[in-house]
Amino acid sequence: MHRIWAIAENTFKEGLRQKILILLIVFSIILIFISIFLEPFALGESPIILRDLGLAAAALFGILVVIIIGSNLIHKDIEKRTIYTVITKPVKRSEIIIGKFLGLLLLIAILQCAMIVIHQLVIFIYEGSFDLPLFITIPFSLLEIMILLGILMLFSSFSTPTLSAIMGIIFFVIGHASPDLKLFADQINAAPLKYLAYGFYYILPNLENFNLRIDLVHKLPIFTDQIMFSICYGFIYTIFLLYLSIIIFEKREFK
Amino acid sequence: MNTAIRLENIYRAFKNHFWQKKKEVLKNISLEIYQGEIFGFLGPNGAGKTTTIKIITGLIKPDSGKVTIFGHNVDSMEAKKRIGFLPESPYFYEHLTGYEFLKINALLSNYIDYKDRVHDLLEKVGLKEVANLPLRKYSRGMLQRIGIAQALIGDPDLLIFDEPLTGLDPIGRKEIKDLILEQKAKGKTIFFSSHILPDAEAVCDRIGIIIDGEVKEVGELNKLLKRGIKTDEISLEDWFVSKIKKNHA
Ligand SMILES: Nc1ncnc2c1ncn2[C@@H]1O[C@H](COP(=O)(O)OP(=O)(O)O)[C@@H](O)[C@H]1O
Ligand SMILES: [Mg+2]
Repeated sequence: MHRIWAIAENTFKEGLRQKILILLIVFSIILIFISIFLEPFALGESPIILRDLGLAAAALFGILVVIIIGSNLIHKDIEKRTIYTVITKPVKRSEIIIGKFLGLLLLIAILQCAMIVIHQLVIFIYEGSFDLPLFITIPFSLLEIMILLGILMLFSSFSTPTLSAIMGIIFFVIGHASPDLKLFADQINAAPLKYLAYGFYYILPNLENFNLRIDLVHKLPIFTDQIMFSICYGFIYTIFLLYLSIIIFEKREFK
Repeated sequence: MNTAIRLENIYRAFKNHFWQKKKEVLKNISLEIYQGEIFGFLGPNGAGKTTTIKIITGLIKPDSGKVTIFGHNVDSMEAKKRIGFLPESPYFYEHLTGYEFLKINALLSNYIDYKDRVHDLLEKVGLKEVANLPLRKYSRGMLQRIGIAQALIGDPDLLIFDEPLTGLDPIGRKEIKDLILEQKAKGKTIFFSSHILPDAEAVCDRIGIIIDGEVKEVGELNKLLKRGIKTDEISLEDWFVSKIKKNHA
């Protein structure tokens, strides 16, 4: 456990030094402020827009950080040859994968919390009260980030950072189009296409499971069984991806 | 004598691009390193020293042949616990301070109470004053020393140093040679590579000479010298040059 923690801590510290983080925090602040100046045009819809834009920005920046840092997580260590002294220590390769995963996840979790806190402050300044239920989005966007990070680690365990990043973006887009894919599969008549569409629907991660934005912004009820399902789904999918990454990473040479 | 490293018929070829022909880098290397000795693995640049070391440390696999460390498979935790490795021109996490870097390595080597261990090693390699400086500010010689500290941190029985003396000034070289001798006195086994021959003369019990992926000679330094050339004054360097010339003839 201490070995996993050592690697996680190093990953966390390394992520902290990257300037993109500061940049993204600045960007998220700017975005939230923009939503305030939207008010004159919003015709009374501004509370909704403020929430929707703020949450969307926070989620998007989380995704951006995970793709930028995550796609480089393993490659950088190999390219810079810093991995040599790690691999030759009495450490399992699975511990390296899990440590890096947890380190970056922790960093993004803190970033997400910080962005939501800023968002709350803006809402408070604006409306005189907080909208605390919005904090519920954090664990859910982290579940989505876990899956995406799993995908990035899987691809970077054998391919380049560019390909990993592209795959991350593709999975992100398809993952959010998942309900449409199902609709498409339901309606189409040509059998091969239908099964192909169902195949993709069931194999690719359904990231819309973690999207509570609409429910929260419009204050719709959220059901516990839906939440339980999302949590189990997120964990099982992530564990599966990490397991595959470890199998590939164990075979890898460091030339 | 007990064996620390055993290499049996190691063969390894590399392909740079899939359309290119494979290049044979190690052709049937067999070596035995005994426990408690200092073994110098010598050869010109490109001879295959680093590739051999990567196979010994499990960073790459041989295409065929067998490697064992104290009788264990190189990938086993038993083997890894007993190896301390200094890579060639080492690269480390630049964002960490010397202290943080050794702390992580201590934890990876299962030293959970790392504080004393890290301080001792910083003291030993003379980096106490710069312990809180990030590694990106370290000079070449300081990096080499922090590299040796991370290799020693788990108190391993076998030290594998790839070109530990390259790029250092005479004082730096002397310090590292002394450190190697000190480790031997503690009963450790040291296997180090070098393309600079006089390095070996001062410290090695035995040397092995690798040229073009083949081990040409193995044995005690003075015996090899006597066998190769008759006069006493001739240096290892000259002898080495004659060996390479013969090889290319
Ligand atoms: N990953 C690799 N791919 C292709 N060729 C390699 C690779 N690693 C080493 N070589 C080649 O193998 C030979 C030996 O390299 P190396 O073991 O680094 O030599 P040394 O450490 O003795 O200088 C060199 O010709 C080098 O170009
Ligand atoms: Mg070399």
